[in-house]
Amino acid sequence: MRRMILAAALVLSLHGLAHAALTQQQMVDLLKQVDDRQKNNGDWRAQAYLEQKEKDKVDTVYNTEYFRRSADQKFMILFTAPKSSAGQGYLRIDKNLWFYDPSVGKWERRTERERIGGTNSRRSDFDESRLAEEYDPSDEGEEKLGVYTAQKLLLKGKPGQDLAFPVIRIWIDKDTKNVLKRQEFALSGRLLRTSYYPKWKKIYSPSKKGEVYYPEEIRFYDEVEKANQTLLLIKAVDTNPLPPNLFTKAWLESKSR
Amino acid sequence: MSKLWIDFTIAFRNLVQHSRRSLFLGVAIGSVTALLVLLNGLSTGVRETMIDTATTLSTGHVNVGGFYKVTAGQAAPVVTDYRKVLEVVKKTVPEMEFAVQRGRGWAKLVSDTSSMQAGVTGVDIRNEPKFASVLQMESGKLDDLGQPGTILLFDNQAEKLGVKVGDALTISAPTTRGTNNTVDVRVIGIAHSLGLLSTWNTFVPIQTLRALYQLNQDSTGVIQIMLHRNDLAKIPAIAARLRQSLDQAGYRVMEPDPRAFWMKFQSVSREDWTGQKLDITSWEDEISFMTWTLSALQGLSVVLIAILVAIIVIGIMNTMWIAIRERTREIGTLRAIGMHRRQVLWMFLLESLMLGLLSTIAGALAGWAIAAGLNAAHIPVPHGLQFFLMSPHLNLAVHGGLLVTAVVAITLVTGAAAFYPSIKAARLRPVVAMSHFG
Repeated sequence: MRRMILAAALVLSLHGLAHAALTQQQMVDLLKQVDDRQKNNGDWRAQAYLEQKEKDKVDTVYNTEYFRRSADQKFMILFTAPKSSAGQGYLRIDKNLWFYDPSVGKWERRTERERIGGTNSRRSDFDESRLAEEYDPSDEGEEKLGVYTAQKLLLKGKPGQDLAFPVIRIWIDKDTKNVLKRQEFALSGRLLRTSYYPKWKKIYSPSKKGEVYYPEEIRFYDEVEKANQTLLLIKAVDTNPLPPNLFTKAWLESKSR
Repeated sequence: MSKLWIDFTIAFRNLVQHSRRSLFLGVAIGSVTALLVLLNGLSTGVRETMIDTATTLSTGHVNVGGFYKVTAGQAAPVVTDYRKVLEVVKKTVPEMEFAVQRGRGWAKLVSDTSSMQAGVTGVDIRNEPKFASVLQMESGKLDDLGQPGTILLFDNQAEKLGVKVGDALTISAPTTRGTNNTVDVRVIGIAHSLGLLSTWNTFVPIQTLRALYQLNQDSTGVIQIMLHRNDLAKIPAIAARLRQSLDQAGYRVMEPDPRAFWMKFQSVSREDWTGQKLDITSWEDEISFMTWTLSALQGLSVVLIAILVAIIVIGIMNTMWIAIRERTREIGTLRAIGMHRRQVLWMFLLESLMLGLLSTIAGALAGWAIAAGLNAAHIPVPHGLQFFLMSPHLNLAVHGGLLVTAVVAITLVTGAAAFYPSIKAARLRPVVAMSHFG
């Protein structure tokens, strides 16, 4: 009987050890791993398909091409379809996000937290992951998401960081370190958006001299207006160097001439 | 004096003698005057309703608003440290009846069944003396807007959102730094729609708005200055005075731009500055996007009045020609016994002016009575028209000045129309006139 109690205690303590809370450093390291896997350290070009479903409204669909340059955090999105939106685009210069509409021929300065094309996707959804840089994590244990075992972290925005979502709950696949799910909260603590990352892909990056992981599909569910959802599909990724003059207003304007 | 009295007596007797013709023409002139009074009453009524509604819902007579930019690309309609600004305003505008401070916002209202984008105005209901006089509550109590976490909607908004008093709503908007935020509010009242402005305006306690946008207690959206009605003509001068005073007090003041504050976001965002800039606007600037309805109504009135005046002129001239033809022998006799041409001219002119004066007085009084009757009847305006008139009922504002103007103007037009036929009558030669048969 005594042996049985000892064995049970041993099993329980081992189980407890397995689920012991991560230290702060371990959590930061985990976030860095998540970021590093997605970091390209060079140029990036890809196509993105955006589909927005809203209650009592016709579905909105956009085809876009988007470009990134890690060195100076440059970023650009060019809308290619539908025809009514073709030529529109966002360009990030320094810390400013500009929007260009060829129908009026004007540039408008927009906030970095802009909803892209009025959908529920944000610029940060297209950009490189900077979780370790922007958020302080706290451990919320492990959780099963389908067949995956995920590490659940609560991330709170670091002071001085201007973030669309000041609080994020994130589920990271313990095996691959890919993000599986995110819940994004308002300052008030209300859940605003839940994002799912069902498909991850990798591509070799010559600039990184290694593999870059990217989510091939992201599904955003609006938690305030429950019926609204956005689908983001990323394809045709190219990590070869881009022309140096690409991230300019002139280049984006030339695409609608 | 006695001669003038005799002239008046003769003119009056002539009018009575030709009673049918005088009555016909008098009714026509009176009707046109009444129409003029009613048209102007409608136009003035719409203008006054627009001022009253707009200055309650969305603007003061003069506004000290502005933008605060955290970064060059992020403009928020915020006035920081507003109490100091208010002190300058009080010193600069002694004509001020009172001033209120309101928060300005644009957010998404989300109910269980629907959502809509709307303007969210933060008010301190205890310090809003005119608010209750303009709003007509359909349900709920306006005073409850003093409680935190509440919202006042208009009936069209409540219908769209599918909510009633007591239901909960979520207001979602990015803060001035672009971080998403929400507040949960309870509907405490639903007011009758007041047209165009009430389609996108909602009201919450200013504390709730501050919580949504993460503003401190010293920040507001705008200081709305209300003036006495007699001082409304001074608005441009007061605005210029305010610009100068605020500039001297060390504030950066935006160049005059006669547009509503929300129409300036794009241009302000394009500009390369950060911090606070104040913007002085008038009520007309803030509703410039809809004063075209007033201009259209005034334009329509002018066209209609022009047509009516043309009808009067033609009618009077025609009638005078007939009168002269009928009275040619009389004119000849009067000239033969020594009446001067000038006196003949004066006689005919006096007849016309007297007819004009009596008819326009009757017409103006009739117009005033009809307007008063229509106002008392509270005639509902069709829903589509409410949108522009900003009132659920027809409102005609007929003031004393308008009546006097109508009487004087139409009487003068009548006299002017009679002038040429009167000259022709005065120029008749006595021999020719006396031998006239017809």
